[in-house]
Amino acid sequence: MSRRKSALVWSGWIVATFLATIFMAHTRGAFDQVHVVLVYLLLVLGASASGGRVLGVSLACAGFVLIDYFFQPPFGEFGVGKPLDWLALTAFLVTALVSTQLLARAQAEAEAARRRAVEVESLARLGSETLSAGRAEDALARIASVIRSTLGMAECTIVPVEPGDSAAVRASGPARIDGGSGAVQRLVIPLSVQDRVVGTLRLENATPVRLDMAQRRFLDAITYYAALAIDRVRLVAEAEHIEALREADRLKDIVLASVSHDLRTPLTTIKALAQSAAMQGNDAGAAIEEQADRLTRMVSDLLDLSRLKGGGFAAAPELNTAEDLIGAAVRQTRGLFGGRTLRTVIDLSSPALVGQFDFSQSLRVLCNLLENASRYSPPSQPIELGARRDEDALLFTVADRGPGVAEADVTRIFEPFFRARNATPDAGRAGLGLSIARTLAEIQGGTLTYSPRPGGGSVFALRLPAREVGADALEQSIDSISNG
Amino acid sequence: MPDADVILVIDDEPQIRRAVRDALREVTARVDEAANGTAGVDAAATGRPDLVVLDLGLPDMAGVDVCREIRRRSAVPIIVLSARHSEHEKVDLLNAGADDYVTKPFSVPELAARAKAQIRRARTFAAAGTSGPVAIGGLLVDTVNRRVSRDGTQIHLTPIEWQILATLLAAAGRTLTHQQIFDAVWGREFGSPQQYLRVHITNLRRKIELDPASPQIIITEPGVGYRVDQPR
Repeated sequence: MSRRKSALVWSGWIVATFLATIFMAHTRGAFDQVHVVLVYLLLVLGASASGGRVLGVSLACAGFVLIDYFFQPPFGEFGVGKPLDWLALTAFLVTALVSTQLLARAQAEAEAARRRAVEVESLARLGSETLSAGRAEDALARIASVIRSTLGMAECTIVPVEPGDSAAVRASGPARIDGGSGAVQRLVIPLSVQDRVVGTLRLENATPVRLDMAQRRFLDAITYYAALAIDRVRLVAEAEHIEALREADRLKDIVLASVSHDLRTPLTTIKALAQSAAMQGNDAGAAIEEQADRLTRMVSDLLDLSRLKGGGFAAAPELNTAEDLIGAAVRQTRGLFGGRTLRTVIDLSSPALVGQFDFSQSLRVLCNLLENASRYSPPSQPIELGARRDEDALLFTVADRGPGVAEADVTRIFEPFFRARNATPDAGRAGLGLSIARTLAEIQGGTLTYSPRPGGGSVFALRLPAREVGADALEQSIDSISNG
Repeated sequence: MPDADVILVIDDEPQIRRAVRDALREVTARVDEAANGTAGVDAAATGRPDLVVLDLGLPDMAGVDVCREIRRRSAVPIIVLSARHSEHEKVDLLNAGADDYVTKPFSVPELAARAKAQIRRARTFAAAGTSGPVAIGGLLVDTVNRRVSRDGTQIHLTPIEWQILATLLAAAGRTLTHQQIFDAVWGREFGSPQQYLRVHITNLRRKIELDPASPQIIITEPGVGYRVDQPR
């Protein structure tokens, strides 16, 4: 309440008491002493209701003196004739003081409740604004302005912190209001969501501002909303970023698909026509066909490279058998071996080896390994392709008697574009084979590793998740046929 | 002397039509062309071709729809020209009624061989149903009495293995998708785990193939299905 307004209330009640006293003093005969006491009591209650405790107590004391002076015999002097009149005076004073006190307390509580209600309401409104409508940046600005006006600070800024940049928070100053004075001139509060600092709230004013308990509570509560709002800004930005990436990815796929289509159409024509010409005895035709094949491989390598970088390889692991995969690999690579022999090592006496893997992708891995082996292995030595169970994995091995991999290169052979030191410059491909093979193994939950072969050469080991298929499960599916 | 076989090529690229015509020269001299799906479907219905070579990526119709439309009206063999590494597409096309596929850029002898095989298959199928024992890869299969033998030695197959072999033989020369084999053997209504098909195939090969690790009778089409070549 303003000072001016309270002065007005004070003087109003003093004048009212003065007028009532004059009026009752002039018509003393018409009033009983009890009526007089009641009138003063009403005045005291009214004054303390509108003017507060101090005004109430002052009027109670004034009433005590006035009753004694004007309305208790002997009239016109301080002093009490009958002892019973003391009782009346004391009763008036006690009643006036107690009711003033009670009224004041009730009013204080009502006021506190009202302020809490306002606080809760404004926090609730801010909360819903923070979490729902509008742009996240607007919500931040709104929270800052509410804090500024509520606390009477000149400056309030909310600054997001980059993830991991906790030094910025620590360097930015004291984190809490000094407990003692409660006066604040410059304040930096870290904002955190789930123990993660997401930003800071900075308050600043030219002169120190004293914050009461309610305001501090408000500040505590509102900083949480500020933290949520910052988090939302971040999430919105992230979502936009992801959307943009997805769009870019989609565009890339479209471009790659159309490039590969556009390149393949002429390649298909060139290859087919060159081959037809070659079959009619045209030597140039054979050369053209060879180069078309080379270009085709380059286009595939290019597509593979973009998939390798963009995580575009996908696997759909299914129940498959090792034998099926080996058979397909042998069939697919049989043209590669020239004079070399390919020996398959697989135990046919035990039940079929079953695993959970993507057939086509695993086939690509094996074919790549076999192709490498045939490239580096001397023609007189057989290449071995084996499959067996190794604990909870199916282990496929491709072993050759080539030069092996130099010690220094062992960790690098699976990197894109790696070329062995002893490889001829035109070994044919871009050097992506092994890195693609390893990626294909890994996306199926498998591994691809190298080890030197005892007695010289290389062993590449592809491990894929094995599965148990009980004989009863197979029997069951057989029964359904016999009965059906 | 029978009339020359008619092959219909459906492709929007004139150069590829030309290349296919060249590649098929040793198969037949009569090659019809259609530049889009709609014209292709019409030509397949009116021209009564002996074989359709269908390129994917036509501007007006999806390849699957072209297959279905042609299949609705005729049993003509369809060979699809498809891109690499698109097994899903191949599976969809085979399920939609295509008989075989060749990957672009294709090899001329391969396309010619497959075209011949499809034409021959359709003709023998039209001539008579299969009857009597079939010899394939040193194996003698008696489809009437359900007997399989190699070099006079009886081979015992479980009912499911017999069903798989019979299904593949009945479609000899065509690639059947996993789904098609499964539907034929188990039937659509039965919810048995389709994935066991591959284990059964492996067990079947151990009984009928000379070298199960390098099968010559039942051929795996990676990511697509299985195929038995037509006995010659």
